[in-house]
Amino acid sequence: MLELIEAALRRPNLIAFVLLLLWGLYITITHHNYVKKLVGLYIVQTSVIFFLVTTGAKEGATVPVIMSGIEAPGADDYVNPLPQVLTLTAIVVQIATLGVSLGLVSRIYRRFGSLDEDEVLEKLG
Amino acid sequence: MTEHLPALVFLTPLATAISMPVAGHRRPAVCRPIALIAICCMTVLSVASLWSVSVHGEVRYSFSGWLPPIGIEWLADSLAATMVTAVSGLGVLCLLFADGLGERPLGGRAVPYYTMVLLLVAGLSGAIYAGDLFNIFVFLEVVSLSAYALVAVPGGRALVSAFRYLLMGALGTAFYLLGVGYFYAATGALNIADLSQRLPGLLDSKAVMGGLIFMFIGLAIKMALMPLHGWLPDAYSDAPAATVPLLAGLVTKISLLVWARILYWVMAPSAEGGTLTIFALVTTFGILASVAGACLALRQRELKRMFAYGGISHVGLVLIGVGQANETGLAGAMYYLLNDAVMQCSLFVLAGFLALRYGASTLDELARAHVRNPWAIVTFVAVGLGMVGLPPTGGFFGKLRILLGALEADNHIAAAAVVLTTLITLGYFAQVFEKLVRSGSESASADQTETPWPLRATMAALVAAIVGLGIWNDQVVALLVDATAPLGI
Repeated sequence: MLELIEAALRRPNLIAFVLLLLWGLYITITHHNYVKKLVGLYIVQTSVIFFLVTTGAKEGATVPVIMSGIEAPGADDYVNPLPQVLTLTAIVVQIATLGVSLGLVSRIYRRFGSLDEDEVLEKLG
Repeated sequence: MTEHLPALVFLTPLATAISMPVAGHRRPAVCRPIALIAICCMTVLSVASLWSVSVHGEVRYSFSGWLPPIGIEWLADSLAATMVTAVSGLGVLCLLFADGLGERPLGGRAVPYYTMVLLLVAGLSGAIYAGDLFNIFVFLEVVSLSAYALVAVPGGRALVSAFRYLLMGALGTAFYLLGVGYFYAATGALNIADLSQRLPGLLDSKAVMGGLIFMFIGLAIKMALMPLHGWLPDAYSDAPAATVPLLAGLVTKISLLVWARILYWVMAPSAEGGTLTIFALVTTFGILASVAGACLALRQRELKRMFAYGGISHVGLVLIGVGQANETGLAGAMYYLLNDAVMQCSLFVLAGFLALRYGASTLDELARAHVRNPWAIVTFVAVGLGMVGLPPTGGFFGKLRILLGALEADNHIAAAAVVLTTLITLGYFAQVFEKLVRSGSESASADQTETPWPLRATMAALVAAIVGLGIWNDQVVALLVDATAPLGI
């Protein structure tokens, strides 16, 4: 048990990621307001992106640009750039999702005059 | 030239989608013909690609000459080529169907509508071809975003269904991406071929198992696997009648295909004991989904919802085949996937036709409307035979192969589930058929209105596909086995 806690504490990024993920899921499931549900969804997506970025991080490493003059650059000196590239794409996807979802929410509001799930379902009958 | 076919197949609908706002800016009426022509071109190209793959073997396409694992790779094996041919062919039929159905005209909204349809088809072909897990994520998201927007087109109730679909779907992709991140953290690779080299030996790693589970959860939401299917019936019954065949036939199937790719092409099933657990898990979920989905379909009074639950139960059947970890099961499952795409498409074509022409969207309404249209009845008989699984339709041979795969793996519960699902499916199709036959006997007045030719062509092509897949089942399965042979299972 103690070993597990110790292993977890050595990776604070994973603790932050799990907290964010669960928090986002909690908001999405419990809130009845459509915009708040989207906020929860956004936090879930951001937590995944956060996780992706932290997998590339290393202690004491720098930007992955090889400067002239350095001989034999080692992999330990540079941050892994690939997760950051993936993250960029994932952020674009996240923004597209957010755009579509806000479009849907605004049409729901114009049609039903409410953003509350219970009220909208009541009007649908 | 032939080696560029996979990229061309994908670029045709994508380029048309991007140029659609310019082309249709002044005259939205041109959008439908342009979209139809683009998908027809795509079909021709994908048939050419299928032919070239079956003659010359699989094509590994590296974009702009960067070789994998650094560059982006597309894998056009015979499985991918067959699926893309099915996607583009069904795309043409769905657009033809929309043409003949004559729903409320879209007017100025035709431009975004057809852009979305083309993006959907482009994303589907991209997800089929993509050779690395991250590209699959991107294309799945392209498909899903277009699908959310297409579901919401009629407004009103459909908006709420589309929003629910979006919430579930976006959570699904987030989980899938998380799984991909776990895999990357454990192996440092994303390319499917590269991963399959690095994974053996890492299968005991908690990161790999966790990643696999997260990807399964994400894809299970997208494929509407039983406990996570909540979004599907609402979304399909509220979406426009001309769009549902496209969504029902293709969107959920793509996640199934991706899952099969991950299980067999990334994780080698024969490698170590750890993977067998995940295959057993997949089989269990498949059994639950197939039987419970069929039972729920039996209870529905509304045609579209009944067919939607039928689709959910068939997802379970495909998963049973996928979970057997042998070649018979996998090839059978992929063959059934192909059939299921055609059958779901035909079911919702029928549902849309009956609802718009006869105003019959529930079983009781169907009994009152006297349906005398020969085209609809023939299509219904063909698709009913296929769904229940009677020869000479493809549904029979697909189920038979899944059953044989289950028996080969000595999994008698799975085999029993396939048979039980068949019986329950017979139950709900008999219900619909009884209403359809009774509706004909009440009144002798023949149906005077002529069926427009696009509708007749769609239905005829769908019936031909259902029966043709059955008659040439050996050839189609041989193609699919070609793709699975290098796996050595």
